[in-house]
Amino acid sequence: MRSLSLLSRKWGSISTARLNSTLTEAQATPDPHKAALAHPDYFSVHNLFTVKDLFDARVHYGHRDGSLDERMLPYVYGSRLGHIIFDLDKTAEYLRRALNVAAHVAYRDGIILFFLRGAQNSHLVEKTAQECGEFAHTRFWRGGIFTNATKQFGAVTRLPDLCIFFNSQNNVLLQHTAVKDAAKMGIATVGVVDSNCNPNLLTYPVPGNDDSPAAVELYCRLFKAAILRGKERRKADFNE
Amino acid sequence: MALLRSLNKLVRLNPKIVNLKCARTLSSEASGEKPPDSKLGGYAQAFEKFETLKTEESKEPPQTFASLLRNSKFVDLGDPEGKVVTGKIFHVVDDDLYIDFGWKFHCVCPRPKKNAGEYVRGTRVRLLIKQLELSSKFLGYEKDVTLLEADCVLLGLVQDRSKNIQ
Repeated sequence: MRSLSLLSRKWGSISTARLNSTLTEAQATPDPHKAALAHPDYFSVHNLFTVKDLFDARVHYGHRDGSLDERMLPYVYGSRLGHIIFDLDKTAEYLRRALNVAAHVAYRDGIILFFLRGAQNSHLVEKTAQECGEFAHTRFWRGGIFTNATKQFGAVTRLPDLCIFFNSQNNVLLQHTAVKDAAKMGIATVGVVDSNCNPNLLTYPVPGNDDSPAAVELYCRLFKAAILRGKERRKADFNE
Repeated sequence: MALLRSLNKLVRLNPKIVNLKCARTLSSEASGEKPPDSKLGGYAQAFEKFETLKTEESKEPPQTFASLLRNSKFVDLGDPEGKVVTGKIFHVVDDDLYIDFGWKFHCVCPRPKKNAGEYVRGTRVRLLIKQLELSSKFLGYEKDVTLLEADCVLLGLVQDRSKNIQ
C-alpha cells in the first residue's frame, strides 16, 4: 500500500485504476507516459518557430548596460552602443526546452498558470489562457496565494503544476513574488527573463525581450500552440 | 496520314512549340537525362531553366543570428542619437501619441500644432531619436532605473510617395 501511494505522488495525476493496471502488466505493455518522456521532442514543438521569427519579433533586444544583472551574462551576445543584445541561438534552445515542458504538462492534464504584470499586454495573456483552456493571473499578487492557499481560499486547493511568467518582474521592477513562492511549493516555473532580471529561481528560464508587445505576442502564440498540441496528443493517445 | 496533316497545321501555326515538343520527346527517350550537346533551341533552353528555378528558390539556407544582426536596421542605425526614423502611431490618449518605430520600446510625443487632426492610430510619422531608452543611474542605487520608453522628437508626417493612385 505504501509503495502504491509513493508511486501515485511521483506520477502525479495518474488515476489509481490505471496505476493498478500498469503494476500488473508492467512486463507486458510499456508505460505510455514513459515513452512520451523518453522522446526528445514528442510534440514536435521544436518546429514551432525559427531564429528568424525570434529576430522579427524583437526578442534579442535587452535593456541598457547599466541595468544588466550579472547572472544574465551567459545568455548575452554582447552590447551594441550600451544596449544589450541576447544570443538568439541560446534563446532558441531554452525556448524549445520550455515549450516541450509546457506541452508535456498539458499532456499529463496539468494546470498551467500564466503570469504577466504590465497593463499593455495583460489582456492578450488572459485571452491566450482562455483560448488554450488554461489560467492566467495578471493582477496584483496577494502574499499567501500559494504558500497559504487553504486559509486564503477557505478550502483544500490544487495548486498549478506549471507557472509561465511572460515577464518575471512586477511594475516596480522587482521580481514577482510568485517566482519565489512557486519554488517554495515545488511548482515548476518557466519565465522570460530580460537583461535586468534574475534567472536563478526559474526552472526553465527563457532569456529574451519581455517589454515589446511583438515579443509577448510571439510567446503567447508559441505557448498556446505547444499546450494545445499536448492536449490533442493526450486525446489521441488515451481516448482511442 | 491524318497525323502528318495535323502536324503540318501545327508547324504553320507555331513552329516554336513544335520544336520544343519534339526536343522534349527526344530527350525523355534518351534515359531521362539530357545529352551534353542537346539540340534544344534558345527558347526551349530558357523554358527549362525557368521551370527548375521555381523549385530551387524555396530551398534557402536558414540565416544565422550573427548575419541577421549584422544586416539589421538596428546595426545600420549606428549611434542612435540624432538619427531620423519612421514610426507608426498605435495608441492615442488625448494629446499624447504612442509611437512604435520597431525598437524594444515605444515613444510618447505630444500632438503637434500643425496638422493636429491627421495624427490618428495608424499614421506614419518621422521621429528624431534622442535616447533609445530613458534610463539612468540615480544616486545611491547600483543599477539604472528605467522608464521603459524611448525619447524622440516628432518631426512630422511621412509623405505618402506611393505610385498607386487610389
